[in-house]
Amino acid sequence: MSAEDNRQAQRERLLDAVLAHAPFEGWTARALEAAARDTGIDPALVSELFPGGPGEAVELSSTRADRRMVEDLEAAGAALKTTERVALAIRLRLDRNVAHRAAIRQALSFLALPVHAPLATRLLYRTVDAIWYAAGDRSTDFNFYTKRALLAGVYSATLLYWLADRSDGQTESWAFLDRRLADVLKAGKLARRAGDIAGRLPNPFRILAGLRQRRRS
Amino acid sequence: MTNTTADSEEYLPGDLSGDDLVQRFIRVDHAGEYGATRIYDGQLAVLGRDPSAQPIRHMAAQEAQHLAAFERVMVERRARPSALLPLWGAAGYALGAATALLGPQAAMACTQAVEEVIDEHYARQSERLGGDPALKSLVDASRADEIEHRDLARAHGAEEAPGYGVLTGAIKTGSRIAIWLAERV
Repeated sequence: MSAEDNRQAQRERLLDAVLAHAPFEGWTARALEAAARDTGIDPALVSELFPGGPGEAVELSSTRADRRMVEDLEAAGAALKTTERVALAIRLRLDRNVAHRAAIRQALSFLALPVHAPLATRLLYRTVDAIWYAAGDRSTDFNFYTKRALLAGVYSATLLYWLADRSDGQTESWAFLDRRLADVLKAGKLARRAGDIAGRLPNPFRILAGLRQRRRS
Repeated sequence: MTNTTADSEEYLPGDLSGDDLVQRFIRVDHAGEYGATRIYDGQLAVLGRDPSAQPIRHMAAQEAQHLAAFERVMVERRARPSALLPLWGAAGYALGAATALLGPQAAMACTQAVEEVIDEHYARQSERLGGDPALKSLVDASRADEIEHRDLARAHGAEEAPGYGVLTGAIKTGSRIAIWLAERV
C-alpha cells in the first residue's frame, strides 16, 4: 500500500469514527480528536490527515457518499427512465446513510455557517452533478445548469424532509421526493411551451434584412 | 493527460495545471465554437439569399462539426459548459446579423477578425497541450479550418468593408474579452 493510499485509509477510518461523535459534539476539532483516540490514531496526526480542519471531514463524507451512490446505482442497473434513475440515486444515497442522520444534521448546521457557504455550494454541486451524470445526462448546453439547479432544490428539500422523517423505511420521504420531481417536470413542460411560443415570433433581423434588400432594388 | 504544462516555459506558479487546465480549455473552445455557429446563423438570417451565402454556409457547416466534436470531448472529460452560453448565443447572433446588415463585405470582415483571434487562441492552447495528444489534435484540426475561414473571408472582400479598421478592431477586442470570460465562467 502506498503512502497516499495509507493516508486515505486513515482518513476514512477517522471519518467513520467521527460519525459517532458528531451528533453530540458537532463537526469540530474536538470530535475529530475523540475519533482519533477511538481508532488508535495519534490525535496529533489529525491536523495532518485533515489539514483544513473539520470541513475536510465533511467534504470527505459527502464525496464518499457520492461515490457509493454511483456504485450502488450501477449495481442496481435496472432499465429506468431518467427521472426514475434520479429518484433512485437520491434514495440509494440517503438509504446508505440512514444510521447517521444525527451526524448529517450536524454537518448541515456546520455548512449553514456563512463562512462555509463556498464549501456547501461545492458539495451540493458535486452531488447533483454526480446524480445527473449517473442518470445518463450528457447535456452540453445551458440545460446543464437548469437541470443541476432544479435538482439542487429537489435534493436539498428531500434531505431536510428525510432528516425529520419518522415513517417506517422513510416511505414518506420517497413520496415527498416523487412529488417534488413531478413538480419540476411540470415546470419544465411550461418552460418548453413558452419557448415554442417565443420561437414563433418574427425574427427582427429578418425584417431588417428585408428592408435592406428593398432599399437596394 | 497528467502533466499538460511541464514542457511549457510560460508556466508560472499559481497557473492551473493538469485536469483543471484541460477542462478550462474544453469549456472555452466549446463556447467559442457555439458562438461561431451563432455568428453564421445571424449572418445567414440576413444574407440567406445573397451570393455570399455560399461560403458562409460552407464555414457554418464546419463550425457545426467542431461544435459536435467539442461536445463529445466535453462529455468524455466531464468538463462543464460555460455558464454564459445564452450570452454567447445572443451576442454571436447579434454580431453576425448586425455585420451582415452592413453588407456582405462587413460580414466577411467580421469573420476574418474573429478567426484571427481564434487562430491565436488555438495556437496558444496547442503549445500547452503537449501531454494530451487527443485534445491537441482536435485543437490543431479546428485551428486549420479557422485559418481557412480567415483566408476565405479575405478572398471574399473583407478588406473592402466600410470602416474595416475600426470594425475589425472592435470585434477582435470583443472576441478576446469573450475568450477570457468563457475560460472562467
